[in-house]
Amino acid sequence: MTSPDVPVSAHGVSAHDVAVPETYTIPVGPLHVALEEPMYFKIDVRGETVTSVDINAGHVHRGIEYLATHRSMIQTVVLTERICSLCSASHPEAFAMAAEAIAELEVPSRAKYLRVIAGEVKRLASNLFNVAILAHLTGFETLFMHVMQVREIAQDIKEAVFGNRMDLGAICIGGVRYDLDAEIMMELTKRLDEIAPLVDEIIETYRTNGTILRRTRGVGVLTRDQAIACGVVGPVARASGVVYDVRHAAPYAAYPDLEVAARGLSDGDVWSRAMIRLYEARDAIDIVRQALAKLPAGEIHGDERPDVPPGETIAKVEAPRGELIYYLKTNDGPNPERVKWRVPTFMNWDALRFMLAEAKVADIAIVVNSIDPCISCTER
Amino acid sequence: MSTQAALLVSVLAFPGGLFALALGLALKGADRRFAARLQGRVGPPLLQPIYDLVKLGFKRTMVPLTATSQLVFLVTPLVALVSMLYAAALIPVPGLPAPSPQLGNVLVLVYLLAIPGVALMVAGSVSGSTYGAIGFSREMALMLAYEGPIVLVVAAVALRTGAAEGQFAVLSLTEIVRHQQVHGANLFDPVLWPALIAFVFFYPANLGIVPFDIPEAETEVLEGPLVEYSGPALGLFKLMSAVKSVVVLGLGLTLFFPLVPEGPLGLVVWLLEDFVLMLIGVTAVRVGIGRMRIDQAVAFFLKWPLVAAIASLAVVVVV
Repeated sequence: MTSPDVPVSAHGVSAHDVAVPETYTIPVGPLHVALEEPMYFKIDVRGETVTSVDINAGHVHRGIEYLATHRSMIQTVVLTERICSLCSASHPEAFAMAAEAIAELEVPSRAKYLRVIAGEVKRLASNLFNVAILAHLTGFETLFMHVMQVREIAQDIKEAVFGNRMDLGAICIGGVRYDLDAEIMMELTKRLDEIAPLVDEIIETYRTNGTILRRTRGVGVLTRDQAIACGVVGPVARASGVVYDVRHAAPYAAYPDLEVAARGLSDGDVWSRAMIRLYEARDAIDIVRQALAKLPAGEIHGDERPDVPPGETIAKVEAPRGELIYYLKTNDGPNPERVKWRVPTFMNWDALRFMLAEAKVADIAIVVNSIDPCISCTER
Repeated sequence: MSTQAALLVSVLAFPGGLFALALGLALKGADRRFAARLQGRVGPPLLQPIYDLVKLGFKRTMVPLTATSQLVFLVTPLVALVSMLYAAALIPVPGLPAPSPQLGNVLVLVYLLAIPGVALMVAGSVSGSTYGAIGFSREMALMLAYEGPIVLVVAAVALRTGAAEGQFAVLSLTEIVRHQQVHGANLFDPVLWPALIAFVFFYPANLGIVPFDIPEAETEVLEGPLVEYSGPALGLFKLMSAVKSVVVLGLGLTLFFPLVPEGPLGLVVWLLEDFVLMLIGVTAVRVGIGRMRIDQAVAFFLKWPLVAAIASLAVVVVV
């Protein structure tokens, strides 16, 4: 079809080929307005209907696993915090838990509660961020602005308590690096009282708003069987009726002493995933309140530079996106011999094949966003 | 002044041309500012649409290698803008000279209103981009859905006015205005209320405003037909869209509520009506809802506005 005098673009499309064939490929990414991070979905489309999805990763690979083996254990805590800013409490926590397991360190009970508070405040902000983006993708800019404004209270909490809006720097091996005094606890309680009714209002909006329901109910469905087959985790699994939460299955930190609601929905569509995230954002507020009420006195960490002997172990936590597993192997040296982590998005993005089957072009972005993809975590 | 010169003035200066451009850009600026305030933002300066155009004017227009025809790619936005300037010249604006009957009647206006949509389809198709192609197919589906109701709305008003004036149908916009000045506005005529409802839905669909901004949905198809446009060519599309908002608002006011005081005061009132309708009828609505999917939008149009328009026409014929 291509004649020599016809200019050919970099994609090998000639000017004569423009009569668009019945089936064509649309690139979603690596840079796309609907994606917060670089990710390439090669999507074959017939008319307005998706026929196949190919995921191409590797655009934000930074070699963090390699870097971790060239840093001391204490430096690696700082490094893991920088894998991804939205789960930046979960990564160092899981890493510290693994190191503590090898070194057989007991974390002071006050530190356990403070870890829960750090993790749940991050969960609150992260989940609100994702549902805000959902509103943006459906063209409902006002709701997007509103949810982001409410999330700003969570950001204020982080700034007031931890001194940072994204990376909290809260975790260290053997404990935490921050403490709450009476004044800051008052401030925290005040801001939680401020955000709780607003989150309730947002939940009601997403539950009843016609625009949201029209674009999310029955869209991107992942059945329970498919969810189990793909091994999806976190809100994606819980929205498909697989009620699996590390905070229940293998409680860590102070979770054994706290009441964490088990959330589950059965429809497995985009709406269910958004609702699970919203309910869990609301639950996060309650969990922080419980932790504040029960917060014991005492040390916040043990030895500042604990010795980690040779050994290997895994540790897992419930990140905002689901189960986060760390594998750590240490030797006689000061650096970890190997650190590897399996992030929730790695399990969840494979399920996109099922969710996007027969989807409409208009829904691609909404469905992709519904697994709350964290590309930095996955490609590190 | 010769007739030709008068026609030229009406297309290039007012009510078409510069007048429509300025009003359209002012409406866009007010719309953006008001929307921002409703969303809890500060919003851009009122002159932001003009700043945007100036910036685009200094940029280069890139023609993609995949474009089937450079000429068509570059001429399409011009055709779209000229059609809208012409259409603006057909709108009777109080306080300004009545549009010359030589320019055409309401039927010409309905045809002209379809040209920007067709231009967007051509633009999306000729760019060779898949996003443009999706935009093309969506624009086409949406046009098929909303063009029917608007023709029926115009027909209903023309027949109703004609019946009252003892003719079959009155197609001159000036005549339609004059009739309402004598017999009261169509807004208060219950027979035409279904037509008014249909027109209210036609407005956002024709202008590509939420919930009907489907062909140009940024988060879905990256602005669809406009994805490959840049620089002055994109600026022309933006100008076209500004003038179009004036034309469709003007058409609505002409068909349903053209009653304003005589003279310059009438012009002021008419401009105020434009802004009030824009801010209450468009801005306040669009910030309150999200985008529909194309199949939902087409189903919606076939269900409500089309039925309303047919009902209106049927009632007009029977009564």
